[in-house]
Amino acid sequence: MQFSSIVFIFVFLPITVAVYYLVPQKFRNPVMLVASLLFYAWGEPVYLALLVLSSMFNYFCGMDIEEKQKERWLARRSLFVAVAVNLLILGFFKYYGWLLGTFNDLFSVSIPYRVLSLPIGLSFYTLRAAGYLVDVYRGEVKAQKNVFQFALYMMMFPKLCAGPLVPYAAFEPQLGRHAVNVYTLGRGASRFVCGLAKKAILADRMGEVFAQVYALQMETFSILTAWVGCLAFAFQIYFDFGGYSDMAQGLGMMFGFDLGTNFRYPYTAKSVSEFWRKWHISLGNWFKKYVYIPLGGSRGDTSIRVRNIFVVWLLVGLWHGAKWNLVLWGFFFAVVLVLEKYAWGGWLAGLPDFVQHAYTFAVVSVGWVLFFSPDTGYAMDYLEIMFGFGRRALVDQQSLYLIVTHWVLFILCVLCSSMRGWELFCTMTEGRKNVIVRRLAVGVFYLLLFIVSVAFLVTEECVPFLYYLV
Amino acid sequence: MMENGERMRMGGKTGKSGKGKKSGLVFLTDMFSFRVAAIGKWLVVVLILGYVALLLWFTGGSTKPFEEVAQAVESQLDTENLVKRDVQALKRYFGLNGADYAGVLYYSSEFSISAEEVLIIEAESETQVQEIRDAVEARLESRKENFSDYAPKQAMMIEQAAVLVRGKYVFVAVSPDAERYADVFRKSL
Repeated sequence: MQFSSIVFIFVFLPITVAVYYLVPQKFRNPVMLVASLLFYAWGEPVYLALLVLSSMFNYFCGMDIEEKQKERWLARRSLFVAVAVNLLILGFFKYYGWLLGTFNDLFSVSIPYRVLSLPIGLSFYTLRAAGYLVDVYRGEVKAQKNVFQFALYMMMFPKLCAGPLVPYAAFEPQLGRHAVNVYTLGRGASRFVCGLAKKAILADRMGEVFAQVYALQMETFSILTAWVGCLAFAFQIYFDFGGYSDMAQGLGMMFGFDLGTNFRYPYTAKSVSEFWRKWHISLGNWFKKYVYIPLGGSRGDTSIRVRNIFVVWLLVGLWHGAKWNLVLWGFFFAVVLVLEKYAWGGWLAGLPDFVQHAYTFAVVSVGWVLFFSPDTGYAMDYLEIMFGFGRRALVDQQSLYLIVTHWVLFILCVLCSSMRGWELFCTMTEGRKNVIVRRLAVGVFYLLLFIVSVAFLVTEECVPFLYYLV
Repeated sequence: MMENGERMRMGGKTGKSGKGKKSGLVFLTDMFSFRVAAIGKWLVVVLILGYVALLLWFTGGSTKPFEEVAQAVESQLDTENLVKRDVQALKRYFGLNGADYAGVLYYSSEFSISAEEVLIIEAESETQVQEIRDAVEARLESRKENFSDYAPKQAMMIEQAAVLVRGKYVFVAVSPDAERYADVFRKSL
């Protein structure tokens, strides 16, 4: 089920909220668990059993690792087995077909194999499980003895399919008493509506612009068309995933959980390293804690530090999908981050702000081309056009048509990508001196946002979240 | 007495560590949970393996070339009642662009009074699979409504249509032989 589907908004969510608020405190976790199982079963009934079994496996492994703590090597062996099994499950569903396909292509053979579709959320689920097991091994958290509470950590529906990756240490204290009241419900609902609007009004509309460019024959592109397509995708993925994260955070608030912040206006960054500190924050934190720092982080000589950056980014690329262009995407950002760290980072910081913003946006856009391309050949051809290597026209009718018909949308996206949009909203509402008028203005604003979003959801095709496919 | 006895049998573990305050019952529970954890994880691994095997068997897609799969099904079709259609028919009836997919095989009845049809599509991606599923559902739903007024038997046949999604393959059969065709399709993968 999608957060942005009509069934979720008008049936699943109201019923779950009502039951959750009505039952006594001690029944709230079971209600949330049952709701989470139903939520997953709605879209992926076949994989629900896999998720439950995997959850049980990690539950047992956590206890097993903790029990063996006195004999450190036994605990390490247990951790290794547990993480290996999790990675094997992910590897089988996500990389097995890709690797065999690559093998077939490389050696011109045709080994037949059966493939299964990737269960939604498995990539996030695996990282969540691995993080928990490592934390138990390190003694940072105690293994969860209550199987239902553990299952809730692993499968709670607001963060099940695409994060955020909340560390167990931050989540465990929230499994006790949930402070829910009208205030948290209201705050959560407004956050949810913001996310819904980002998805339904901005991301999906930008997705249509991108789809128009993507459907064109690349031979007919002008340079501007290529940039419009890239810009459209940049906004689509930001508002799609950012919208999802807002909705997840809002749902968490409604049910008395703090799921953390996943985005902090990444397109306002003045360097690529800053961009990655503002984009998908929970994933960045995960890789930093469980891969980068154990590898040595920023300690050691330059070659070790460079190696660590490359290892982390190749893994980040591979985690995003089983495609060579995503590996290249990770490699590209590793190169850029190394160069920023050791070559032009200091020089860049001395340039005017708008140059730094333009540089960051251009580099990130190149990254998005590698991200959305079906293969590396397509990506290279697209980049050639974007940077004027293909003897293409600078502007054509197609690009002008796309800009003229969507300029309002582009401006809205620019506004909402920065603090400017929020500031504008605050000026409009907080400028009122009368508290009642101010509250009424805020209420009317969110109601309008909700109505417009729902109107788009009803009239347009429901587009799955891009990160559901990761 | 019981507590002391249990502690002795457990090899004096609590005594050595000086944590003798733990009651024997709690200690036993801990030991039990330890064993459960150690054994349980392997038991669950076996269950996961079994489940994945079942998934592969019943829902797994295949990398077999489309032509092989299509030929296997085509050879079993009742071609007296069914006529091979082109991609334009696919566009007209399902709203799908045949050129977007890795392979398309579409047969339907030449008589408008009959709802019989067989469709196999190999998609290029998972997203396309969903798009095809949606189109198939919409087509079956609208035809069922149309037929229910004047040909209830045909509407019933649509109701019992075989719709299978195996990896990137989508198979649809509306026919009295739907189950047999589906079986041939499954075996051809």
